Amino acid sequence: MASSLLLPSCCLAQLNKIVVHPPDPLTVVRGASVEQTLELAVLPGFHVNSDKPKDETLIPLKLTWTNGPLETQSVSYPEAKEIKVGSQQVMVFTGKFQIQTKFHVPAGIAKGSSTMTGKLHYQACNDTMCFRPSSVAVTLPVSVE
Amino acid sequence: MSLAQHKSRLLLLSLAAVALVSCSGSKETVKHATAKAQESRKAAPAFTLTDSNGSKVSLKDYRGKVVLLNFWATWCGPCQVEIPWFQEFEQQYKSKGLEVVGVSMDEEGWQVVKPYITSHKLNYRILLGDDSVSQLYGGLDALPTTFLIDREGKFAFPPHVGLIGKNQYASEIQSLLEEKSESAALGLQSAPAILLPGAAQ
Repeated sequence: MASSLLLPSCCLAQLNKIVVHPPDPLTVVRGASVEQTLELAVLPGFHVNSDKPKDETLIPLKLTWTNGPLETQSVSYPEAKEIKVGSQQVMVFTGKFQIQTKFHVPAGIAKGSSTMTGKLHYQACNDTMCFRPSSVAVTLPVSVE
Repeated sequence: MSLAQHKSRLLLLSLAAVALVSCSGSKETVKHATAKAQESRKAAPAFTLTDSNGSKVSLKDYRGKVVLLNFWATWCGPCQVEIPWFQEFEQQYKSKGLEVVGVSMDEEGWQVVKPYITSHKLNYRILLGDDSVSQLYGGLDALPTTFLIDREGKFAFPPHVGLIGKNQYASEIQSLLEEKSESAALGLQSAPAILLPGAAQ
């Protein structure tokens, strides 16, 4: 009974508001540093909080590499856009944007194919409503030469 | 001028006077919303949650009252727009039988909600939501989500998902406050008094 009350928002809520384009395989050399670019797109009509929201109650966008042979040195986010929601000024990402990760390749890792896995945590809104914080898994194929 | 002509003139003048009075006011007129027919209303799902003082609060405690049940979160921008309206409604309509109840869906719990209550001087009861109440009320993936519940504990209007106009809420509240209910007539026990943080008992 309760679920039938909210059918339209149920469908809207289930839609992923941010699309993470599957990254191309990364070819790396042992002992070197390498940069990887993750391409993302926020669906039209929505925005996600940036990595540095002005209000500490807001949930920031964050990419975390959780598992794999490479060491994460830094994750860089683009410049955010400022929009007004009610009386608040909010820093957001909209449309297409990129996140850069700098990895270090340990000298002692095995050659061959491997995978880096990560998680993108975000919280999306449109002009009239906000959706529960959500995470998207990210998988990066790695080839160590 | 004949009597018939005189009467017609008087009628026209009266109509003109009424039109003038209707159009001259600067005060906004709120059109009363039309609630669902009472016999077709469904019962709001029962729940028991905890308020900021640690007290257990059940929806059934509010029988006999009109309840504006608002699901929100501190991270929800549109929710922040509505909250001052709800504070006004609590002040304006409480004596007529309205109770505003906010249910926070913040996963971090009272750690973030209590400071918010204090800093924003919320004058209505805040409960902490959980997965159970979320499922009962349709999943609540989008906030704010607000329900207007009549004195019998039933949904009187479709749920409001997202930000809507203040006047629409006012209209719906007034519509429900004006309804007669068996609970109100029998003078059933009202909800326990709200204890705001720091208030003396």
